[in-house]
Amino acid sequence: MIGLKSTLNVIDNSGALLVECVNVLKNKVNNGHGSVGDEIVCVVKRARPISAATQASVNAVKVRKGDVRRAVIVRTRKQVRRPDGTMVRFDDNAAVLLNNKREMLGTRIGGIVSSDLRLKGWSKIVSIAPRVA
Amino acid sequence: MKLEIDSFSGYRIYPSKGKLFVRGDSKVFRFATSKNASLFLQRKNPRKIAWTVVYRRMHKKGITEEVAKKRSRKTVKHQRGIVGADLAAIAARRDQTAAVRQQARLAAITKAKAEKKEKESKKSASRPSQPQGAKVSKQQMKGGKGGR
Repeated sequence: MIGLKSTLNVIDNSGALLVECVNVLKNKVNNGHGSVGDEIVCVVKRARPISAATQASVNAVKVRKGDVRRAVIVRTRKQVRRPDGTMVRFDDNAAVLLNNKREMLGTRIGGIVSSDLRLKGWSKIVSIAPRVA
Repeated sequence: MKLEIDSFSGYRIYPSKGKLFVRGDSKVFRFATSKNASLFLQRKNPRKIAWTVVYRRMHKKGITEEVAKKRSRKTVKHQRGIVGADLAAIAARRDQTAAVRQQARLAAITKAKAEKKEKESKKSASRPSQPQGAKVSKQQMKGGKGGR
């Protein structure tokens, strides 16, 4: 149940730490709430300070506080029903930042992600993630 | 079909049943029923709740029948052939009576005696022929007493 003003942890190495959802991109069934595998527009609320080394390299993506970015939800506190009927619940809400082409901004993921992502077409993220539940 | 084990009670979770909870340290817990999930979230210790598998295992509940069923191994005598004597030969040897054995023994003895006699006669027949050529004693050869 990710909606306006809900905050999510960012678990990739893009530089953002905490984002706040400002919009859930429409699909036909979400009723304004996002779940695992849904895309959202979010504002970076807290980010890792950008070091001099990363500033020097040209192609490095810089994520600062206040940036508006796209992201995909990878974990939710609200339980999600799997096709086989089991319910899956996590301890926190988490997201992974995306660029305009729906590709990951970061290169690594640090933390468990839901395996429902694969069903929703985010198999790249599932394959990078260290653990899947 | 993959059966999961309830992480609180130890019950089996059949497909389409139960809840999966992923804690902040990314540890995965599976619960068969809401009762198990609730007790886990209340941080109850399954070792202190009497119906859980861990409690029953700890207090040795419901395993007495299994102990009774357990039998000690008995040694069973068994016969089989060994090198040079198969089972049939051993059985035949055992089944023969004392009289038969006696007879066999006598037969063997007479046979052996006959053989010995034959050998002896052969030897006596062959021996005299041998020393005919040289009847000189060894002492003579050496130039001893006999050569005077």
